[in-house]
Amino acid sequence: MGYVLLSVCIAYLWLLFIRNMSLKDANSKVFNRKIFFSKSAKVDYKIFIINRLFSLFISPLLITQIAIATLIFYILHRQDIVHSGQFSDANEIFVIAFFSVSMFIFDDFTKYFLHRWMHRLPVLWAFHKVHHSAETMTPITVYRVHPAEGILYGLRSAVTQGFVISTFVFAFGNIVDLYTIVGVNVLVFCFHVAGSNLRHSHINISYWRWVEHIFISPAQHQVHHSIAEEHYDKNFGAALAIWDWLFCSLHVSDIEQELKYGLVDSSETSQNLGNMYFNPFREIYTKSIKFIQSTNIYWLAKK
Amino acid sequence: MINYILKCSTIIGSIVLPISSVQAGGHTQPYGPFPVTLEAYSGDADNSVSYSGQIARHILHDSLKVLAGQGDGGENSQSLKLEMLSYFSGSDKNKKILAPLPTEAFLIKQTTLDEISSGKNIEGKFYNGVMLAWPGAMKGREVALHMIEQASQAKKGFDADNGYDWPQLISKFTMGAMAYNQAVDNYLDEKLSADTLPNDKPYKEGKHYTGKEHVWDEGFGYFGAAAHTLTLTADQAYGIAKRKDAAAADFNGDGVIDLKSEMVFGPAYYAAAFDRSGSKSTNYLNTIMQAYMDGRMLITAANGAILTNEQRSSLKGYASIIESNWELVLAEATFKYAGSVYKDIVKMSEEGADKDKIYRAYVKHWGELKGFSMALQSGRNNLGEVAAKMNELILFGPVTLDNSYVTGLTSDGGFDRKSRMTWNDYQLNLLKVQQMMVDKFSVSSRVNDQLADLGALAEKLSAESNAETD
Repeated sequence: MGYVLLSVCIAYLWLLFIRNMSLKDANSKVFNRKIFFSKSAKVDYKIFIINRLFSLFISPLLITQIAIATLIFYILHRQDIVHSGQFSDANEIFVIAFFSVSMFIFDDFTKYFLHRWMHRLPVLWAFHKVHHSAETMTPITVYRVHPAEGILYGLRSAVTQGFVISTFVFAFGNIVDLYTIVGVNVLVFCFHVAGSNLRHSHINISYWRWVEHIFISPAQHQVHHSIAEEHYDKNFGAALAIWDWLFCSLHVSDIEQELKYGLVDSSETSQNLGNMYFNPFREIYTKSIKFIQSTNIYWLAKK
Repeated sequence: MINYILKCSTIIGSIVLPISSVQAGGHTQPYGPFPVTLEAYSGDADNSVSYSGQIARHILHDSLKVLAGQGDGGENSQSLKLEMLSYFSGSDKNKKILAPLPTEAFLIKQTTLDEISSGKNIEGKFYNGVMLAWPGAMKGREVALHMIEQASQAKKGFDADNGYDWPQLISKFTMGAMAYNQAVDNYLDEKLSADTLPNDKPYKEGKHYTGKEHVWDEGFGYFGAAAHTLTLTADQAYGIAKRKDAAAADFNGDGVIDLKSEMVFGPAYYAAAFDRSGSKSTNYLNTIMQAYMDGRMLITAANGAILTNEQRSSLKGYASIIESNWELVLAEATFKYAGSVYKDIVKMSEEGADKDKIYRAYVKHWGELKGFSMALQSGRNNLGEVAAKMNELILFGPVTLDNSYVTGLTSDGGFDRKSRMTWNDYQLNLLKVQQMMVDKFSVSSRVNDQLADLGALAEKLSAESNAETD
């Protein structure tokens, strides 16, 4: 909640002092009823609630980061290049800072690649479409995802954390710790304080061009949601833009440009809740049949 | 008639008082005195509690541990061996108490074993099943004798080449093979059956306590707790065993510690040790002690009559609580020392470390690990596959400085070290031992948990919404 309030403050500051809007205009921009009560936003809210219930049942079944960390910790004992606790006499402040930064960077890196695959692989895009079908953007839109995508991101998080935790504890022993503010990695805190909630909003905060090569601005993420052809498969990054820069998917923002969100092939039924949850499976089934037919596996196709 | 009334009122008092204290939330009654309930008894004795033989064996064990560290590397081996055997197997009189010894602030009432109980030894009460955790596939008693032989030849009980610390190995193994085994596999097991040592007859002709009273008391004696344990915190019990808290030990306030009832010995000491450290979520000492108390009060309440099936069933329930918690204490110890050995390996590889000193600590901790793992296998439960896997992970001996480890015995009873293992691989084995103690025994104190850092960091990171998508 604190982060949301902070985002609202940032939005006002941006609109009042950078975009030189009047307070009245800023009010109507920030609390735009047409956006928050749009058909698309209402779907966001419903999906948010349904997914919370769904995760109550699914989360306990997913592999945890501690299970993965333990497994990798065991595997690390199988090599003889570095031994357990080899660097345990390193400076504690350095180790904690190194761990906090590594965790943040590695986490962001895996988010980038999974996100990229969600767009590039047709099977994953079938699920990720649910998120991109949002035609208006509110901070709740970030939760507008198919449960299958939620599971994938959960596994990504478990693998990433499990890998980094086990590697650091193996190398540095029990001095490894995390610099936190209000219970989260200090860098994640900075990311949220910098207005991470505004990525999914109509407040198009942009950074200087050179900064947008390092950090993804809210406006850059809005570009990612744009249906304009030049914006296809751009800005997959979550917090850092360097991955997009490195892998040629970076697109700096243009605040003068009006963006339209949603899917290119959207229809009347795009905001139908049932379609959101079941269409990905239908689509995958249809594509699988086509694939089987195209590969001439007749006996399977006939079935 | 007056005698009968007095006896009855003592019995009622001994039951009602503790029950009322339990209801008030306090557990303060010591384990004894308990009244004489044997109807046929007409002597002067007014306390049916007797477990001095078990206390004598704890002292024999403590003294044997001291002797195991007194070798000079060869010259005194023969005399030392004979002396160790006199404490392990002998029944000769006037043996000195070598441990626990008094300190200036912790005065002890007795100086010889005969003041406790005469003619006792360890060997007669030692687990004698096959002990596959030790090379040579010997029986429990043979393993102990083999260890004594080796200890007598070592310098200060330390065998650097093979990585053995004899005082630790002998002590921890004995704590299971004698105390734990006798309690859970003898006194609290078959001796609780209906046709063995019934409650309406004296334990032996002429004795003033019944069969079941004495069986239960002897089972209690092996636990090694002070009679007033229910008035103590785990810290106090620990302090008594370390001879640092005379005030807590001296229950009758006579200024000296009576080893018969006021001292804390090995098994109870470790129960207290795990309650006061690690996760601090356990209550082994109090749980075991309360079960002993409840069992003894049940027997006392029977007032010298044969126990009904229902009463014996309740008694077995208390015995089961004692056994399961005692087994957990041994599993906690195995867990703890697997962690200690793991940490010692890390320390040995640190730059500028005093390797000799750390290796000495490593061998000591390994002796404790091995000893406790053998103790765990000396109970009533056949651990089967768990024991086999545990032995395979811990090995017959620790990985030594040239990475070799003991694989078997030579024809002259020495040790073969035919295999090698890297430090990393051995550390992995130790992690698996800890995991096994969690999976198979659900240990929860978990001192020296080598996976705790992973868990703590995972916990911290789970506060972030990392499942958040884009």
